[in-house]
Formats: sequence, structure tokens, C-alpha cells
Amino acid sequence: MAEVTLENVTVCYPIYGAETGSLRRDIIRAGVGGFLSKKRRNIAQVTALNDITIKLRDGDRLGLVGHNGSGKTTLLKTIAGIYAPDSGQIRIVGRISTVFGLGTGMVPDLSGYENIRRMSMLLGASFEEAEASIPEIEAFTELREFLNVPVRTYSAGMLTRLLFAIATAVHPEVLLIDEVFGAGDMDFQVKAQKRMGELVERASIVVLASHSQDILNRFCTRKIHMEHGRVISQP
Amino acid sequence: MNTKFKAMSFSSPRDNVALAGLDDLHGAWQRRHVAAYFALTDTFARYRRSTIGPMWIVLGTAVGVVGLGLVWSVLLGIPKAHFIPMLTVGLIGWQFISGTILEASSVFARNASTITNLYVPRFSFTIELVLRQLITLGHNLLVILLVWIVFPENWSWVMLLALPGLLIVSASLLAVAQIVGFVGARYRDVELFFVAIMPILFFLTPILYETRQLGHLESIMLFNPLAHWILLLRDPMMGQVPSLLNYSVALSTCVVLWVTALVTTGAKAKRLPYWL
Repeated sequence: MAEVTLENVTVCYPIYGAETGSLRRDIIRAGVGGFLSKKRRNIAQVTALNDITIKLRDGDRLGLVGHNGSGKTTLLKTIAGIYAPDSGQIRIVGRISTVFGLGTGMVPDLSGYENIRRMSMLLGASFEEAEASIPEIEAFTELREFLNVPVRTYSAGMLTRLLFAIATAVHPEVLLIDEVFGAGDMDFQVKAQKRMGELVERASIVVLASHSQDILNRFCTRKIHMEHGRVISQP
Repeated sequence: MNTKFKAMSFSSPRDNVALAGLDDLHGAWQRRHVAAYFALTDTFARYRRSTIGPMWIVLGTAVGVVGLGLVWSVLLGIPKAHFIPMLTVGLIGWQFISGTILEASSVFARNASTITNLYVPRFSFTIELVLRQLITLGHNLLVILLVWIVFPENWSWVMLLALPGLLIVSASLLAVAQIVGFVGARYRDVELFFVAIMPILFFLTPILYETRQLGHLESIMLFNPLAHWILLLRDPMMGQVPSLLNYSVALSTCVVLWVTALVTTGAKAKRLPYWL
């Protein structure tokens, strides 16, 4: 049984700028001590998630709604374990997979096949699993012999097909999706939505952030509306 | 990300930072196939569009060995049959050490997109870095082979002792890369610091000379761990067993570096995405 539980989770981003990022500043502060060192802890912070409580069980499909910067992506990344909460508790049971930041680990000078293995393995597959996912990715992308040439030569649409196919090749229990639609031709859009539907179908718990009401209505059973890092409505 | 979490709570980290660091190392060990494949394919990618590819590494080292060897053996008045093999091992060892340290200061910054989009144990990136440097070192073995063919008087069974030496140096460099990586991710000055300091360290490390040539200054080398690392690699290749002092300094440095690396990782691994 899969589970995603967040209790009063707060995540703050420190903003390191030119003022606070340099070793010189810190050494000078250490040297000057007292007066200036008061500013030491004065690193600007943005509260990206503020006191979030969410409980998800098997079968839950949660849609995240909100403007840019409302905290949707931060929430997904916190559930994925990328950001550690400053306060609150998180409990995850089940194999997690994320569909965002497509193209992480891609090297333009390597071929499609080499990139499939790299990206699949980075997403958690063993070498054998990465190898085994290749036929299915071949079929979905329809890139054929292009998979043998460097990815740098691909058109934007071809690249989208490949990255989307790799990101959706695993079947996790907990699936986290950030807005990934939009590129590619009409034909691909239809295929991508179908594939995403299957992936969502098979996962136990899904959390999906999107600006598209159509997508949210199609895939989600619950929605929460976020603003300034808070949940403002939870129907 | 696609990790098995049976029941895992991200928000209650281990109280002991060194244990948290060990957890990270354990996670990286479980994903060692990723680091190995990435190190290999990154090397492929670097040379894919060049004609002789990785042979450029060999060529660069060979030119360095011949050029520096001819000039410095005359300057120092040492026979070439002794000086050139010594220089060869020293230069190749130095490339490994300085290459790793220089790249380590930006190792996390270069993997920023991975670190901010997936959870990957922090040691994965430095293991990959050290593996990539070892692949380069492997290419350079060809230069060693050529030099040893030209000066065959240096062959001996003691050469096998260079392998445990390489293991100690690699393990130490992995810890160094982890420490330098974290400090370099937080403070971008670190990369510039090493770019500025490495050429000086080259001359302060016995590569173009031997420590005994320093006379009464010889004891200074005691405090340069890089000198001990070079000697662990070079002495066996020259048919000498490295001194007990070399081994004790290198091993204790290794322990100190590893404790520091594990504590740093345990304490700061979670802060890393915010620094990039």
C-alpha cells in the first residue's frame, strides 16, 4: 500500500546572492566578529511552502492548481525528497518516480540509445532494466535509425518524444508529474496523453501540477489550490 | 527518481552526521553502475567528434615527458634513464591528483540540473569524477609502457606495489573531491582558488625532482600530502619500496579526509540543492 503524508511541512529557500555567497565575506565577517557577524544569519529566505498538510492513500489522484511561483513545483520536489523540509514531517511509502526536469543527464553528443540508458539509469533503473525498456521506447518514439545518431541532431519535437518516452517508461507506485505537455505535433500530443493516462492508471498515488483545466479534470480526482506556498482551498 | 522507500521519512534525519554521510555513501554504492556508465559515456562524448580521440591524452603526456625530460635531466644533471621514468610517473600521478581536485570544486555545480530535479546520493557525482580521472590515467599507462620499453632497466616486481598506492591515492581523492565539492558549491571562489594554487603546488611537490635533492629542506615535504601520494605511486615504479613514513602519513591523511568528507556530506547534503 502506497502512502504520501505531509504534516505541517514548511520549506524555505535561502537566497544566496553576491552579498552572501562569497568566501571573502564570510572570512571578513569571521575576522571582524561581533557587529557585522550579526548579519551572518541574515540570508534572505523565501518561504516556498508554508505549513502544508496533505494525506494521500491508494487511488488518490491529486491535482495542484495555482499561479507561477505558488509552490506547486516545490511541493512536488519536496515529496520527491529533493528539498528537505525546514519543519514538519513527511512519510512516503512506495516507489517514487518523477516526470519533470525532462532531459536530466542528457549529453547531446551521445546517441539516442546511449542517452536512453543514461537517463533511465539516472531515474533509478538498473543497467538491465534500462536495456529492457529500449524496445518499448523505440516503438513509442518512432525515431528508428535516428536513435543511432547524436541527440544534438534531433529537432525539438523529436527530442520531446525521446525525453517523454524515457521519463514515462517506469511504472512507479507514487507518480509525481509537473506540467510536461505542450511540445510536439498533434499526433504526438494525442499519443503522449494516452501514455500519460496509462501511467496514471497504473500508479497508486499521483500528484500532478498543471495549468490546464482539461488535463486536471481528466486525470485528477481531487484538486488543491495553492497560493504563496499555502493551500488556500481543498475541496 | 525511482528509489525504493519501504517506509521512509525524509524529515527525521539521523542525529549523527557521520552516519548520515555513510547513508549517502551506501546509496551511492548501490547506484555505482550509474556512476560507472556515466564516467564511461562522458569520456566517449568528449572524444566522439575527434579523429584520434583519447589518444590526445596520451600524446599530451608523451610530449610533456619528452620535452620536460630532455630539458630537466640536463638542468639537474641526472641520467635520462633515471630521470625520464621518474618524471613520467610523477606527471601522470600529478595529472590524476590535480585533475580531480580542479574538477571537484565545480562537480556539484556541473550536475546542478540533476541535483535540483532528482534525489541522487551526493557521493555518486564524486565517484563518477574519480572514475573518469582513472579512465584518463588508464590511457596514460600507454606512455608508461613506452617509456619502460625505452628504459627497460626499471622493470621489477616492486612495481606491483604501485597498485595499493593507487588505491590509497584514489580513496583519498574521493574524499577530497567530496569536501572540495561541497565547499565549492557553497563558495564559488574555491574553483578560482585551486586554479591559482595548483601550478604552485606542482613545483612544491617532488615531480621534477626527488625529495632527497632538497637537502635540509627535505622535512618540509613531510607536510605535503601530495608529495606522499606521488611517492606511493613513483617509488614502486622505480623499483623502490615506499618508506613506512609515506604509508603512515598517506593512510592517516586518508582517514582524516574520510571522516571530514562523511561529516560534511551528512551535515550539508540536504542544503546542496539550495546552493546551486
